[in-house]
Amino acid sequence: MKIDKFFALASEAGIAQSQIQVIKSSSTKIRLFRGDVDEFKIKESQTVIACGVYDGKFGSAISEKLDEEALKTLVESIKRNASISEKPDEVGLFAGSPKYKKKNIYSSELRNTPITEKIALLKRLEAAIKGYDPRITDADQVTYAESESEVFFYNSLGLKLKQKGNYFYFVAGAVAAENDEVKTYYDEFFGTDIKAFNPEELAKKICDKALAKFHWFTCESGQYPTVLDRTVFAALLDYFLDSTIADNVQRHTSFLEGKLNAQVGSSKLTIEEKPLERTPFYSYFDDEGVATSNKTIVKNGKLLTYLYNRETAKKDGVETTGNAAWHGGKIGTGYSSVYVKKGKQTFEKLIAPIKEGVYITEIAGLGTGMNARSGNFSCQAEGYWIKDGKINRPLNLITLSGNLLQLMKDIKGFDDRAQLDSSSFCNADCLIKKLSIGGN
Amino acid sequence: MISKSLALQVLNEALATGGDYAEIYLEENHPVSITLENGKVETVSTPITCGAGIRILQGTKSVYGSTSDLRKKNLLSLANRLAASFEGERQITISKINKNRVKNISPIKIHLADVPVEEKVEWLKKGYAAAKAVDPRVVRIRTSLLNTSKTVQIFTAENEIGVESNNVEERGRYAIEVVAKDGDNIESAFAGPGRTGGWEYFTEQLNIEEVSKKAAEKAIRLLGAKECPSGRFTVVVGNGWGGVLFHEACGHSLEATATGKGLSVFSHSIGKQIASPIVTAYDDGTIPNEWGSNNIDSEGKKTQKNLLIKNGICVGFLVDKLGGRRLNMEPNGCSRRQDYTFAPTSRMSNTYIAPGKDSPEDIVKDTKLGIYVADFGGGSVEPTTGEFNFSASEAYIIRDGKLAEPVKGCTLIGSGKEVLMNIDRVGNDCGLGQGNCGSLSGSVPVNVGQPTIRIKEITVGGRGGKLE
Repeated sequence: MKIDKFFALASEAGIAQSQIQVIKSSSTKIRLFRGDVDEFKIKESQTVIACGVYDGKFGSAISEKLDEEALKTLVESIKRNASISEKPDEVGLFAGSPKYKKKNIYSSELRNTPITEKIALLKRLEAAIKGYDPRITDADQVTYAESESEVFFYNSLGLKLKQKGNYFYFVAGAVAAENDEVKTYYDEFFGTDIKAFNPEELAKKICDKALAKFHWFTCESGQYPTVLDRTVFAALLDYFLDSTIADNVQRHTSFLEGKLNAQVGSSKLTIEEKPLERTPFYSYFDDEGVATSNKTIVKNGKLLTYLYNRETAKKDGVETTGNAAWHGGKIGTGYSSVYVKKGKQTFEKLIAPIKEGVYITEIAGLGTGMNARSGNFSCQAEGYWIKDGKINRPLNLITLSGNLLQLMKDIKGFDDRAQLDSSSFCNADCLIKKLSIGGN
Repeated sequence: MISKSLALQVLNEALATGGDYAEIYLEENHPVSITLENGKVETVSTPITCGAGIRILQGTKSVYGSTSDLRKKNLLSLANRLAASFEGERQITISKINKNRVKNISPIKIHLADVPVEEKVEWLKKGYAAAKAVDPRVVRIRTSLLNTSKTVQIFTAENEIGVESNNVEERGRYAIEVVAKDGDNIESAFAGPGRTGGWEYFTEQLNIEEVSKKAAEKAIRLLGAKECPSGRFTVVVGNGWGGVLFHEACGHSLEATATGKGLSVFSHSIGKQIASPIVTAYDDGTIPNEWGSNNIDSEGKKTQKNLLIKNGICVGFLVDKLGGRRLNMEPNGCSRRQDYTFAPTSRMSNTYIAPGKDSPEDIVKDTKLGIYVADFGGGSVEPTTGEFNFSASEAYIIRDGKLAEPVKGCTLIGSGKEVLMNIDRVGNDCGLGQGNCGSLSGSVPVNVGQPTIRIKEITVGGRGGKLE
């Protein structure tokens, strides 16, 4: 009824077409510290995103309320914001796709698992970390979180869509100390099937990686064959994909401009976006109400498509790829569920040919160290020195620098350890011909 | 916002099971963001945020809940569910709420919310025009003006005393991103000056043409810059935004969030030498109209000027209520949060290294070979190990005491302990730069600051090979 009221108010205000999305979400977060729950958080929210076309221009407004007063404010804001805009609306709102691939991914089991069982798992995780080795001095940020959201989408052209999802994650860190050295390592487990979580397995992984960091050294600066851990490659790939967004290309601020159907990576690189996979990132419609689809973005190094919403697609004379996403008060473009084709070899075989090189397991500062326009980056890194095809000793306080386009072209291969992370990227470890390492 | 009588009910509900401190944080925020793409208004965004966060402490245990539904029934239900986390008997009952007199430290003549959008648009167009005029290789200019107008109401209950604190936070920030392109070579530059203040700052103090022109000139300069060399070098860090060095290398590690749990590299450093004797540093949330300033913190306490390091000796931490309980220290007005969905914690506000004696010119003149970093993009730190990084957005090689060729793609890394001890010159030209800092309680506006300083040796990363 409230939705009908919104459409009526919008129509009365002269807003030719209008759309409203209501996102209801709730989350719970529990953190342990030395055996006790030291932080328990509950978050309940409702976000209302409304937009419309007024006087041939697009306007939008956001609120956390859905009462009559809020509906009036939303309508007034859409009208005022559209009036000020100097950009004509090119596409109007969307009447609907012929077919939507709707799946139920909501886990009732996750919701129904008592919170006491979740806290018990968290306590096992903390105990397993602290008891793993005498050099593990503490467990940090031992946290369980779960989140649930329901999205309702309506527009004045008669389109009605909704979807619901939930997921959980456990995250923890180990603090390891030996002599004067203090080292930390954090990792996570996420998904929708809480029964699949093994606290001792995650604790072992975290502790082994923290303990392996002792007796590090800083190598000489230079260019080395470089293996990027899958999480590091995913972080870099995120910026590469940002450059496939058509809006960036059309504004001449993407290093992939003019490279459609050209080689933008080595033949080992194939990137797909799969929003319809049955994962916590599943989404069957985008923020314009367009049906999403699985698609190949780069195949064997060749760029097959940019990512579009309806407006940028019209500009290029192509169909939208169903990637519309709200961004700062306008409908921009986004992506999730990114899959990179993995290799067939093991990690050991991937590094076997490297006489002297580096294996980068963690990076920091990429957010400010990346020039997303040029693809040039430089950031803090750590990992391991590779010698004669094997992991030799830990490396720390080094920098990793390169150019994204060159990096993708220099990919020599992936191993077979692909895994979907909470970043929504599923990829394996990657060997790069060479990257610049800053050290001594 | 809510009445005192409802607040009283909610606080008492929250304290029913043995909590010894309860707090309700309510906020209503009406930000306005105007963005121009290449001189034309593309987006006007006016989201409205309104909600409440309830926190209960029992010793050093904390529970927190937030909701955008401010109806009495829902607030009482949230307090009840949070209180259910504790199993004890009631320790405190609040019968009265006193009003905390909050003094405004940042006078405002013209509220940004009262300025017509059209007037702001015309002002933003001046920025576009100034940047566009710099060079035909400038291909994209995005200018924006964001102003927030946040009304905050905080109720706290401790030792059977209830307190209400009301505050209004008004900030404005101009941001410009300039992208320059020459063939396949693309570079960008950013500037983002801001204030806790009114329209008068933007029209009377900030020269939008100058800021925008400089951003465009920087983007053009970067087109011709060489890749930064890598290795361990002497680095001179310019004033203002250079303070991100101290923010990352030391500031976060002095927050009670980390020190209170014994998880910071500086946890047990009070009274110890942690920096060169020429370094003195403060965090000061009381500077009138500065970007990181505020009348009160997120727990209703007055902000303070906190001395953190005196002549290289660590003399203080940034302490919030919960951290204070862990450290057995008094909170010092630095509890902050992005919005009601975050529990507050100890955070920096306006953090800076105090001015020294050297002139910046002399510091450069006395450096034979090294890197001069004029501006930064930002950085991050792992407080437990103290290892940090920050990225330069404008840097030059120093040759024979003079600034030589510009370089790009420059990252500085190190451990806080090592770098602070390695500062061997401190200039007399202290300046502040505006940014947003992300941490456990979300993204908050902060000033970073310092005079020009010199670090004897630090690891520099880049793709330019050796420095010769």
